[in-house]
Amino acid sequence: MAQYSAELDGVFVALADPTRRGVIRRLGRGPTSVGDLAREFPMTLPSFMKHVRTLEANGLIRTVKLGRVRTCVLNRDRLALVDGWLAEQRRIWEERTDRLEHLVTDPKEEQP
Amino acid sequence: MNPDLDLTLQRVIRAPRAAVWSAWTDPSRFEKWWLPAPTVCRVDRLDVRSGGALVTRMSDDGVVFVPHLDASFLVVDELERIVYTNAIDSAWRPANPAPVPMTAEVTLSDHPDGTDYRMTVRHGDPAARARHEELGFFEGVGSVIKQLAVVAESQAVR
Repeated sequence: MAQYSAELDGVFVALADPTRRGVIRRLGRGPTSVGDLAREFPMTLPSFMKHVRTLEANGLIRTVKLGRVRTCVLNRDRLALVDGWLAEQRRIWEERTDRLEHLVTDPKEEQP
Repeated sequence: MNPDLDLTLQRVIRAPRAAVWSAWTDPSRFEKWWLPAPTVCRVDRLDVRSGGALVTRMSDDGVVFVPHLDASFLVVDELERIVYTNAIDSAWRPANPAPVPMTAEVTLSDHPDGTDYRMTVRHGDPAARARHEELGFFEGVGSVIKQLAVVAESQAVR
């Protein structure tokens, strides 16, 4: 299955933007309200919320609403997907195996 | 299995064992999956038998090829098992491969849906790993890893 690769793709897409990396970095210091976060980035609130939703959709952060305040929390388990040497080796082999699987299950490929 | 150095993976591949075996042993098929596009893989030697050579090159433009892998098969059991290492090159000379010495073991067995495909990749010692990191292994995802390091550091402070 390409499940693992798809999850990694999402994480890398989410991290491939300076604003979103800035949010991750900021949340590394602790949970922060959306309002406080938004003030640190020079853009409109709707634009900022798009980034928050991308991070949330890919599981890098979660948001919790308490009363009228929505707070963002870093999901460290998710970051661990791309953090570290062995994880990188795992990514290489998982993706390589995805390609092998694709080749041998593709009806267009000539089977032996 | 050393969880700090080794990794395992397991898949059920919906194809017969012979098809998976052929993807590992037929150079024209091996080239199609070994490296991620757009990098082009070219097999120089794929002698899938115990002691046989596994030598590949790679290219970004399909014209200029540079060395990729120079390794030896340790154990090959037809349709069942392939073990290779880059710690011994294709001339059986002890090697210090970049990024790190490793042994990869692939086992194939029948599964009702196709092939039960399992891998164990055993990596070299921690010193080799440290050297590997010094060599800038993370270049490809450098900016991401730097960001992650910042997160990890701030985590440590908390």
